[in-house]
Amino acid sequence: MIQASLKKQLHGEQGEFQLALSLHVAQGEFVALFGPSGVGKTTLLRCLAGLEQPEQGSIKVRGDTWFDSSNRINLAPQQRQVGYMFQDYALFPNMTVYGNLAFALRKGADKKRVYDLLDMMDLGELQHRKPNTLSGGQKQRVALARALASEPSLLLLDEPFSALDAQIRVRMHDELLRLQKHFGLTAIIVSHDVGEVYKLASRVMLMQSGAIVQQGIPIEVFSAGQTTGKFRFTGEILAIEPMDILCSLTVLVGNQIVRVVAMPDEVAKLNVGDAVMLVSKAFNPMIIKL
Amino acid sequence: MNRITGKIVAIESNAYMSLVDVAAENVVFTATLLETPETVEYLKIGNLVTLLFKETEVALAKNLDGLISLRNRFSASVTHIDAGDILSAIALDFSGKKLVSVITTRAVLRLQLAVGDQVEALVKANEIALMAGHHDH
Repeated sequence: MIQASLKKQLHGEQGEFQLALSLHVAQGEFVALFGPSGVGKTTLLRCLAGLEQPEQGSIKVRGDTWFDSSNRINLAPQQRQVGYMFQDYALFPNMTVYGNLAFALRKGADKKRVYDLLDMMDLGELQHRKPNTLSGGQKQRVALARALASEPSLLLLDEPFSALDAQIRVRMHDELLRLQKHFGLTAIIVSHDVGEVYKLASRVMLMQSGAIVQQGIPIEVFSAGQTTGKFRFTGEILAIEPMDILCSLTVLVGNQIVRVVAMPDEVAKLNVGDAVMLVSKAFNPMIIKL
Repeated sequence: MNRITGKIVAIESNAYMSLVDVAAENVVFTATLLETPETVEYLKIGNLVTLLFKETEVALAKNLDGLISLRNRFSASVTHIDAGDILSAIALDFSGKKLVSVITTRAVLRLQLAVGDQVEALVKANEIALMAGHHDH
């Protein structure tokens, strides 16, 4: 579906480096780009969307050439059939929800698609509202609907849910997966959230200073070189409390809150809000039928 | 979490699980894993691994005698006792490495544990996880 290879000089916090990579994504695949800030993840998305131009390389999508430096082909963003969703919703403030979606339709497209999307995403009741009257989660659902309004062949998501609280984030993940499957979309997401990558992506690419250094199915990539514990969850620390000679950690795992016991010296390196992995041997958990 | 780095010296496995023997500081530790050399690349004799086990899974004994099913036992000396109302953290010196055992304060009193005591530390094989490479303190 996507075959891209590109090179672009970038100015990072640690000086200059080159974005240099090849990317192959299959039709209908959901891929995650994972890595620290400033390694070129967003630039890669912007190059695919046509918002930035690589110095060298080519981008082919479903056999169409979107970019080719040797033949001086560079399609404008609106010619690329890309749905793009950012962390800040970038909705038009002066337009209603309906207006935001309708604006994103392709020229001559049937307005029915707007109503279908409003319906599918349960936004019907909000269609006459302006963005500033919506909650963060509602705005992000509108942004997702708008990204889909242009009937994209490729959906690009740049940390779309990082500003949302955990519960709404989980709902958005479900919604996104449902829509991605429904439309058979090819999607690329930039994420810092291991849990999000596990849930959404069938393949993760680890990026470091402009290059893809490792890729594979998320569980294999994230557990490489790690413990053999089978009972393993990632979560976010909500509270750290001393408990006599030990400490108690309250951790949000998915949408469940769990408490675990930790030693004071382990806790000294942790802060509320940190992501942690909770690991136990597969032998430990007891099972109670519900 | 207690960490001890050692070398894999033996692996016994069936299709589902393995008993992995790891030599560290003149003691051979054993870990039961739901992995096999076929599913995990680092399970090879001679490879460096780190044994991981929680403080609360380390039992202590004095003058231990007789047969015991536990695979992992090693001598250590008590360097510090942090006694709480219910639980106590016992810092141990195991061949120069610091390990911690958390047991009940009741047990500390019953064993009359004091700094300087020689004790046997005991850990069940299925409480030990392995991590590839050296991750010691």
